[in-house]
Formats: sequence, structure tokens, C-alpha cells
Amino acid sequence: MPTSFNDQAQPEQIKRLLFRAPVIQSACDLDLMAFLHRHPRTLLTSEQVSALVGYNLRDIAKSIDAFIEVGLLERTAQGSMHAARMFVLLLDGPQGGGISALLELSSTRKGRQHILEALNTRGSPPEATPELRLVKYV
Amino acid sequence: MPAPDLVKTGIFGLDEILSGGIPRGNVILLEGAIGCGKTTLGVEFIYRGASQFDEPGIIVLFEVSPDKIIRDAQGFGWDLRELERTDRVRIVFTSREVLRQELQQADSVLLEEAAKIGARRIFIDGVARLIGGNGTAEARSGFHVFTEGLHRERLTAALAIEASAYSTGQNGMLPEESIADTVIRLRMEENQRAITRSLEIVKSRGQDYQMGRHTFRIIDGRGLQVYRRVQAPRPSSRDRAAAYDPTTRISTGIPGMDEIVNGGFFIGSTTVVAGISGVGKSVMGLQYIAEGARRGERGLMLSLDEQVQQILRNADSIGLDLGREMERGLIRLEYEPPQEIEVDAHFHHIEQLVEEFKPKRVVIDSLSTYGSTLGTQGRVFRDFFHALVALMKEHQIAAVYNHENPEMLGMASMMGDFAMSSLVDNIVLMNWAELGDTFRLGMTIAKMRANPVIRTTREVEILNGQGMRVLPRELRIAADQHPFSTYVGLVSRAPERRHIREQNEVKDKSLDKPVE
Repeated sequence: MPTSFNDQAQPEQIKRLLFRAPVIQSACDLDLMAFLHRHPRTLLTSEQVSALVGYNLRDIAKSIDAFIEVGLLERTAQGSMHAARMFVLLLDGPQGGGISALLELSSTRKGRQHILEALNTRGSPPEATPELRLVKYV
Repeated sequence: MPAPDLVKTGIFGLDEILSGGIPRGNVILLEGAIGCGKTTLGVEFIYRGASQFDEPGIIVLFEVSPDKIIRDAQGFGWDLRELERTDRVRIVFTSREVLRQELQQADSVLLEEAAKIGARRIFIDGVARLIGGNGTAEARSGFHVFTEGLHRERLTAALAIEASAYSTGQNGMLPEESIADTVIRLRMEENQRAITRSLEIVKSRGQDYQMGRHTFRIIDGRGLQVYRRVQAPRPSSRDRAAAYDPTTRISTGIPGMDEIVNGGFFIGSTTVVAGISGVGKSVMGLQYIAEGARRGERGLMLSLDEQVQQILRNADSIGLDLGREMERGLIRLEYEPPQEIEVDAHFHHIEQLVEEFKPKRVVIDSLSTYGSTLGTQGRVFRDFFHALVALMKEHQIAAVYNHENPEMLGMASMMGDFAMSSLVDNIVLMNWAELGDTFRLGMTIAKMRANPVIRTTREVEILNGQGMRVLPRELRIAADQHPFSTYVGLVSRAPERRHIREQNEVKDKSLDKPVE
């Protein structure tokens, strides 16, 4: 069976992607982001999101808040009569490109495992690529 | 009276069945079993609205993720992502519980979302179990509340609901049916070992529509294509057309034949050529359209039996270069394999060919293949043939239908199980007569509506490189062969030579005098 690009991703490559998407800090962040990517406009209660993504409500709430803070997610205000809120994913921002590449990588079981391993051993930022160095100096 | 405000679905063939569209604000129930095309229809309704009619729309999903809907739509050539980017479509993923609450709220987030893009249409995929109550009064009341929310926003809503009973032909009523304004039932029906999709407008408030089950297909790169039921009434102009020109005739293209059909077939007439395989029915058809091309008239040959290359080769063997006439745009040959013909779609194809190509002559080869495909029992074949005859008459086409009669020698019946002689203007019988040790070919004009008919059997020959011709009545074609006029009982399977004295009387009486 041929191996895909995702299965062959190198740890340094994954680190660089995580560096471009610092909002992804945990497995919950990654899986919630994958869910929102497949459902970019979702009208649900937080409890329903928690049940669908498979993490406890507290972790989900934390991830949602983090996404909102960096401008990756919009959430409508809570209505007076109901608990459902509209979540709208916005990937146009600075972290959007990194997120998309990360989600592509996580679309296979092995790719996802590599990312989770990288998250667990997350330490110093990766050695900067020429592109990143340019951004840094600019 | 003002014209009704109709929402065009934009779906190929559907608006025609709906007399132009669906009254704005109607709640449309799309019901059917799993896999029958409800979601595709609903998504296309939104896509066409946004892309063709400047009517933005919302798609609401419960179980299917939006990325799959977008992916599947891409396969039909519908770029939903682009429509989302330009605020003409919104795809919202939610739960039934939330939607139920939403449509009862004055400050509904969903309806606010619809208002933001000026949505005029909404498609909700999977409203089953939305209202609960298992078909009780409570369920009806719940659905009523739900539809009120849609009415308030003046949205034309399509709601897909799973109803497996309709795929098995059972009858049963969903509580939603009585409240919905329009009910479109989708089915997958078994036909032998094939499956055909069909669509039926069960009801639609505020408009006329074509009843019955209409075939539809889901086609990659295009979407839904609905084909009006072949039996459905056509414009009255189609039936009136038969009276346009009852005098003009067109030549058969067979040397010697025009004189026994009073100069040719009337335009708009229906002719059946019946005979066993190998008697030259297709040859006659080829010469008929070739004669048209020679006179600058367009001719169409539709074959279920032979592919185009084979037809061209056959034509070449009798000295006809149909390829050149095709290049000149005067002849069109069409082949459709007879297996699993969907009669509505097939008829639509013929309608399109006739309307676009505008032939003056059409040859259908053959009715018997239609019979074996559609079945001669029941109404489908007869209704199809009736619609075909009406179509040809409307376009003033002189159509020739080949029909394979199973009898080799003589004929006990002209049309066998094909109970349609009453629709046919002319019947030409082609049959073999065994005379001595030779099979010789005969042609008898058995029927010519509104014409005097010469009912003598005439000998026919088909020669390589020359084609078919009808021989003069008295012609002796070989030293040991006598002309047909010297025989009796050619068609009734018992040919015998006339007595010499009788032969002389026949010559004197000139039996070629037509029978009025």
C-alpha cells in the first residue's frame, strides 16, 4: 500500500506547521478545529459540540475561547430563550494557512498521531526556515 | 388576475411539470426512501436559486457534514463554496432540537442568518423526527408551528423527509403531508432487474401541475433531469397539427413504389412497414431518407437495432453515401441501445432531436424492438407510440416505422400483439413467397388511410449497389420465373399459378385499377 505524504511527514515539518498555528495546543484543539473545518457554520449548543467532538465541556469551552481570541472563530451571543449559538470558522486570518495545512496532515490516522506526538513534546520553536526568517526580520 | 408569483426550481424538466414553478412561500415536502435523490434535489433547488435567479438560500443539515455536500455538489458542477464566499448561500449544520426551538423564537439565530444574505429559499435535509409525536395530532401541531416560522420569513422551503414506505408501493400518509403546500414524492422503482427513479407531484397548492410519475435521472456534471411522463397531455397544438396539409406527398425513394402508393406518403403520415427479418425494411428506410436528402429534405433515422457505422456500411452496399449527406447536415443517424430504455427520457431525446434537427422524414427501426423492451402488454408501449405519432404529426413529418412480423411466409396478422393499427395511416407488408425452389419478395399495400389502394402484391428486388425497386407487374425477371401477376394466394401462403386463360383475363381487366 503506498504511503501518503501525511504518513511521511517529518517531525521538523510538523513542528513548523504547529509554529505557524500556535492556537493548536492540544488534541481537543486539533479535533475541534477539524470538526469546525468540516462544519464551518454550526448552530449548536456547547454541550452538543462537546458530544459530537468527544471531549468534555470544559476543554471544548477552553478551545472555543482560544479560537475566538485569535480571530479564527466567531460566535453569536447567547439568546434569551435558547442555548444554541452559531459558530462560524474564519480561516482568512494569519493562522488560517497553517491551520489548513495541519488539518490536511491530520486527515490520516498516522498524520494525526504524528501531530499529537509533536504536541506532547512541544518545546522550543523549530529552526527557522528562510521564509520564516524573512518574516522575522521584516 | 395577476400572474402568480412562482419560484422557478431551475431543475431541468421540473418547472415544466409544475406549470412554471412553485408558488412563492410554499412549504415543499420532498419525500422518499434513502438514496432516491431528495438531498440532490434540495441542494439543486438552492444552487439554482442562488446562481440563476438571484435568490440566495440556506441549506440546513443535521447528519451530513457540509464538506460532503460541497464535495458532492462539485461533482454536478455546482460551486457551493464560491456561493458561500459571495454570501449567496449559507450551509448551516445544526441539530433537530435546536432547529425546532429556532423556528419558534422571535430572535432566531438561523432566521437572522437567512436575513443577513437576503435568503428567499431554504432547504432542510431530514425533517423526519423533527416534530416527534409519531403521526399524532401532536405531531401535526408541531409541524404546523415549524412551518409558521418559515412563513413568517417568507421563505420558500424544501424539506426532505425519509419515507421508506413509498419505495415499496405501500400507501400511508405522513402527518407532514397535510400541512405542506407541495408534496413531491421520489421513488426508485424496480423494472425487471433495473431501477428507475421517478418523481410525482402529489399535491401543490395554488397551481396546476402534471400528475403521474415522471422519470428522472441524476447525471454527473449536471444534476437532476426530469422527463415528463410520456403519457402526459401535450399541448393541444400537437393534435391539431394533423390537419395542416392533407395534400402534399413525398416520394418513397423506391423506384416503382410511388405509383402503388398514389405518388408517395402524405406529409405528417404514419407508415408501418411490416415483414420478417431480412425482407428489406431497413433498406427501404435508408432509401427513403436518402431520397429526402437528394431533394434537400432533412431525414432522421433512429435505430435500436444497428449502430451508426453498421447503418452506413449497409447504405454503402446499396450505393448510398449517407456519410456525405450527414456532413451536409441533411441526414442524421442515431443509435440507442434498447436495453433498459427509460421511456420518458427516451421520448424526451426524440422530442429534442425533432425540435432541433427539424427533419421532414423520420425512420424508426424498429417498433418490434420497442415492443420487446417496453412490453406490448399494458399501456406503456401504446402510449409511447401514440405520443410519437402525435409528435411527428405536429412537426409534419412523414414517419416510417419498421416492424418485424415473425411470420416468414405470408401473414396471418399485420401487427401481431401490437394493438396500434388504428394509429397508423399506411401499412406496407413485405413478405416472402416460395415459388418453385426460390423465395421471392413481395410488397402489398394493406392500408392507406384516405387513399384509394391498389391491393395487388408486387414483386420487389434488392440488388447490390442499387438497392430496392418494385418490379413492373408483368415483368418476367428470369427465363424460368413467372411474374407475380400469374399467381394467386401469394400472401395467404399458398401460391398457385393461374390458369392460362385466367392470366389473359387478368391482363385484360388490368387489376392495377385502385380499389376505392
